[in-house]
Amino acid sequence: MSRRIGFFLLALLPLLLAALAVGGVLFLRQGGFAPYRIPPGAAHPVAATADVLARGEYVAELGNCVSCHTTRGGVPFTGGLAFKTDYGTIFSTNLTPDPQTGLGGWSVEEFRHTMRNGVSRNGVLYPVFPYAHFAQVDDADLDALFAWLQHLPPSVRAATPNRLEFPASWRPALIGWRMLHYRPAPALAASAAGESPQRQRGRYLVDGLGHCAMCHGTRGSMGAALAQGDLAGGRIPGLGWYAPPLDATQLQRYSAAELADYLRSGTSVHGSVYGPMAEVVYGSLRHLDADDALAMASYLKSVPAHAAAPAPSLALGASSSGVSGADVYREHCADCHGREGRGDGTAYPPLVDAVAVIAPDPANAVRMILYGGMAPTTAGNPRPHSMPPFVEQLDSAQIAAVANYIRATWGGRSSNLTAPDVDALHGIAVD
Amino acid sequence: MVSAAEAPSVPAALPWCSVARLRTRAAFGFALLFASAAANAATEDIGERLAACAACHGKLGEGVHGAEYVPHLAGKPAGYLLEQLRHFRDGSRVNAQMTWLVRFMDDAYMEEIAAFYAAQPPRTRAADTGAADLTDAMRTTAERLVTHGDPERNVPACTACHGTALTGLEPGVPALVGLPAEYLIAQLGNWRNGIRHATAPDCMGEIARSLAPEDIRAVSEWLSQQSHPDGERPAPAGTLVPPRACGTLPHAEVAP
Repeated sequence: MSRRIGFFLLALLPLLLAALAVGGVLFLRQGGFAPYRIPPGAAHPVAATADVLARGEYVAELGNCVSCHTTRGGVPFTGGLAFKTDYGTIFSTNLTPDPQTGLGGWSVEEFRHTMRNGVSRNGVLYPVFPYAHFAQVDDADLDALFAWLQHLPPSVRAATPNRLEFPASWRPALIGWRMLHYRPAPALAASAAGESPQRQRGRYLVDGLGHCAMCHGTRGSMGAALAQGDLAGGRIPGLGWYAPPLDATQLQRYSAAELADYLRSGTSVHGSVYGPMAEVVYGSLRHLDADDALAMASYLKSVPAHAAAPAPSLALGASSSGVSGADVYREHCADCHGREGRGDGTAYPPLVDAVAVIAPDPANAVRMILYGGMAPTTAGNPRPHSMPPFVEQLDSAQIAAVANYIRATWGGRSSNLTAPDVDALHGIAVD
Repeated sequence: MVSAAEAPSVPAALPWCSVARLRTRAAFGFALLFASAAANAATEDIGERLAACAACHGKLGEGVHGAEYVPHLAGKPAGYLLEQLRHFRDGSRVNAQMTWLVRFMDDAYMEEIAAFYAAQPPRTRAADTGAADLTDAMRTTAERLVTHGDPERNVPACTACHGTALTGLEPGVPALVGLPAEYLIAQLGNWRNGIRHATAPDCMGEIARSLAPEDIRAVSEWLSQQSHPDGERPAPAGTLVPPRACGTLPHAEVAP
């Protein structure tokens, strides 16, 4: 009997060894043990001259810390904002220097480590926190950011417990996720040989601080970004909006100067920001200085074109509603956007080649028609124009028809939205 | 404008500088002229910028026929309108569509929008959402609460703050006439349930919590039927002193 068990184990041994080897390799590829070694040591004062604090504030703006770490009407940077994922809800945390509930007890070394490795004294952090991007931020910026955060008024606000399903609720399970989906990015300097300082700065802002790929990257299974810095576009998880690819082809209609101005002002003759991008401009990009805006724009326009994404599947089998999209357009849209969809300056954006019109995903077009929008107020656009909501005036069949008409006429999209598709996009998520 | 014109006053007891003074005045007047011309040019196109607002509130904020839950904006005090915009932005008033449109808007634009709608001819005729479902008992309850309040429950009369004509009071108390009953019920209900908040001390929250649901329905239905010719403005600031502390508005309440 015991001989039979021994034989059995002997036969399994290669399998066990192979599993261990694969696990070991995956563990090494996610960074080995280093990410889990939190630098020890108590808080100590950090250099905070006026210049450092000003830089820290600018870094916080470019990283858009405020948008994720503040609830509606809440004290800025005290966290508590809910992030809905496929695995449950995760809440952002308090960045003010309160010793118990914020970063008051942290050293700058621990802050750097957490920003770059996604592991803090509280355990492995969920990848809604863009540490893979912040790994590219240099010491001077991280230290200035920490100094500035430590100079905020301390505010007591304990972290809201996350509401997650098992195994996501168990933080060590994140090590498994990291083994499959997280690879530390190569340091920026190493991959930047021969690059102009402007392009390097643009890439630093786009891939590092700006963490643009968190929305503009294509998501794989289990919330994994397919590749660092991948700006191939896609439906933003949890938000119901489509983020377009960012590359030379997609941004062709903008000159670099126009694109830089669009990032700072939130508007352009090619259209204004809306949906989640309005939040990014209001929380972050409107603070860009002119050189940084141009660096980001130039870099984005230099990203090689991505392969065209397939259109998402829509409700099948529903027949045409018999509503004429052209009629709806003439009656409700043409006054502002023009009979030919060419719009008028920055007041009325053109529909020809607009992202919502050419995108494979019709979500943005439908949501804009349903609930309208208002561009964020910025120094370059202090009194924005607005798009009226049509949810009270048009039914889902009419909205489907007019969206199909617009996308087919000016976007070259053979769009076959139906009323149930529009129904599925109902609802405003403001927080 | 008036206070700005008074600002650069020069001591009158110095006759030797009277020429300089005149020049300063002239230059200042000129600057004012330009400033107001620029301001006019800036505000002239505000209406077309607010197409999103017009869809539900009417082109000049006069309201849209038959809309049960959407209030008019025209002629309401600018201070009141500004506070509502801010509250939709910070979440103390809850309406997803409103928050969607104003969440990335700064105070300066909100002030301009509030001033634009406040300057329109007030909409003071009755809401056009159909005949009220008003029984005699409801009418009696409503008229008592509107004109006398209920001292036992510490509920002041509506007229004590919103004016005897219920057309509001500058700079922060809105008109109660011209509003649909369903809108009024929803607002008082939201205050009662802690969904709507005004700047503390939130007098309307206290009042709504003191009222029974049937009182709220009676008052709302009654108010929706009150009508003045359009154009009745809110009472000028200081013409009546509200008894209760509400936000930062002037009031007669003695601090405890």
